[in-house]
Amino acid sequence: MSDVSLSLAQTRYALKGFLRDPSALGFTAFFPILLLLLFNAIFKGNTNFNGVHVRAPSYYTASIISYEIMLVSFSSLLIRITTNRERGLLKRFRGTPMPSWVYLLSEIARTIVVVATTVAVLVAVGAIFYHVQLSAHLLLGLVAYLVVGVICFCALALALTRLCATADSASAIGPLAATILAFLSGVFIPVAVMPPWMLDLGKVFPLEHLARGLQEGFLVPGSSGITLVDLGVMAAWAVLGLVVAVRTFRWEPLASGNS
Amino acid sequence: MDTVVSVEGLRKSYGDRERIHGITFDVQAGEILGFLGTNGAGKTTTIEILEGYRPRNGGQVSVLGVDPAHATRAWRNRIGLVLQECELDPVYSVRETVAMFARYFRRPTDVEATIEAVGLTEKANDRVGQLSGGQKRRLDVGLGLVGDPEILFLDEPTTGLDPLARREMWIMIEGLRDAGKTIFLTTHYMDEAQHLADRIIILRAGEIAAQGTADELSASLGYHTEVTFDPYSGIDLARLSAVLGRPVTVRESLARFESDRVQGDMKLLLDWAEVEHVELANLQAIQPSLDDVFVKLASEATPEVREVDS
Repeated sequence: MSDVSLSLAQTRYALKGFLRDPSALGFTAFFPILLLLLFNAIFKGNTNFNGVHVRAPSYYTASIISYEIMLVSFSSLLIRITTNRERGLLKRFRGTPMPSWVYLLSEIARTIVVVATTVAVLVAVGAIFYHVQLSAHLLLGLVAYLVVGVICFCALALALTRLCATADSASAIGPLAATILAFLSGVFIPVAVMPPWMLDLGKVFPLEHLARGLQEGFLVPGSSGITLVDLGVMAAWAVLGLVVAVRTFRWEPLASGNS
Repeated sequence: MDTVVSVEGLRKSYGDRERIHGITFDVQAGEILGFLGTNGAGKTTTIEILEGYRPRNGGQVSVLGVDPAHATRAWRNRIGLVLQECELDPVYSVRETVAMFARYFRRPTDVEATIEAVGLTEKANDRVGQLSGGQKRRLDVGLGLVGDPEILFLDEPTTGLDPLARREMWIMIEGLRDAGKTIFLTTHYMDEAQHLADRIIILRAGEIAAQGTADELSASLGYHTEVTFDPYSGIDLARLSAVLGRPVTVRESLARFESDRVQGDMKLLLDWAEVEHVELANLQAIQPSLDDVFVKLASEATPEVREVDS
């Protein structure tokens, strides 16, 4: 069996496991859809984006997509990897002939499939129920942000596995980080009503750039929303995450005693 | 016979403290080596060095002709392992789990045959989360076997299992022995090593305290039958000791002496009883198990061992 087909098989296996895990499925697939419905029920009509009146449903569709990308790629992956490490599964895999990169790549491939599927559902919900306008430009931007966003947050998740000694700490840190960044990045609260210092602080982190880029794409007619600054900041965080991950990643349970 | 594992002067330190003090042993093809020791004796450290998980500080180690410190993918294809602790993903079925692990190896054995070898055919469609502790452990052994390894490492396969599950694991390992598998087995149960292993190494505080077959160990460790009976009133221990030519003591409300020729000593004892006109109550000749021998050996351990435990 070639490494390519092994990677595909391992990705399918990981996806199957994900679909059978009700908490992971609820947290990453149903929760964001619920959030989109809630925000659209609360904020009807228009909001202000860069001094222009825009439709709130388009704003929130873009925002929740960015939040979803972080939830799946960062929070969920962080929890999954630390759980498998704590179970001794990573160590077990490491003792087989399967190359380490096959395992990690298949987890990232699984993430991309889950993100692509749930984002498609969010876009469809926005378009069908809230008349969010779609265009070729927008789809191009969406794909670009999705790919860079997933890579960035997967890298950061791998980098943080070393700080999360147990699956329990990952289950706290993963969702907490996503929620706090979402507030700092104008995901939940429209940018127009956010204090400027908070937005400036948010700009340091990748979620702000993912959200802003997607919002541009959804709100500015004829724009893909792609800017070098937004993609560049995410790429920089991705590189930082990868460097830290390569240096600190552990396959054995962190709290392991030995005899 | 081919030497599958060869270890010479193996040393391992954690920080400033040396835990394995230069041990030497080997494993021959087709044998089950029982690596016996208490918690903290260094069993898992040793097995994980052989498995390629841990670096060592000194000595020569060769597993299938390869130094595990330089483990390659080709080498990993030839070894099978079962870790001391591994919680398999509960959401997959037994068959799915074995089939996925089979894909990791270049020349895996048949998935169904592997499931049968570990006695889980009837559970093949059940999710791992629904299995009992013993069944999970046997599935884990199946994952170690599915690559058709030339040597299987089993790290405490029965620790934490109830007596029945332990018995089932033994039967399964006996099946592997009959199939000619080479197995490196760590355990802290003497009876397990005695039952399953062709040869036993007793590790104590990072040193080999004794090694050999179960019989050789019994002989070399001074292993005498103990004769006990209820001490009757007025028993003259000094006289009886003189008659038997062995010291007779009273301990835990039983009179007792050790014997290496039970029949002759029994006759002397019974003749004595007749002369004394007493009826010996509760007369027994007890063969100490190797377990007792092991406990005795292990309890002579240095204080360092107990520190390592914590």
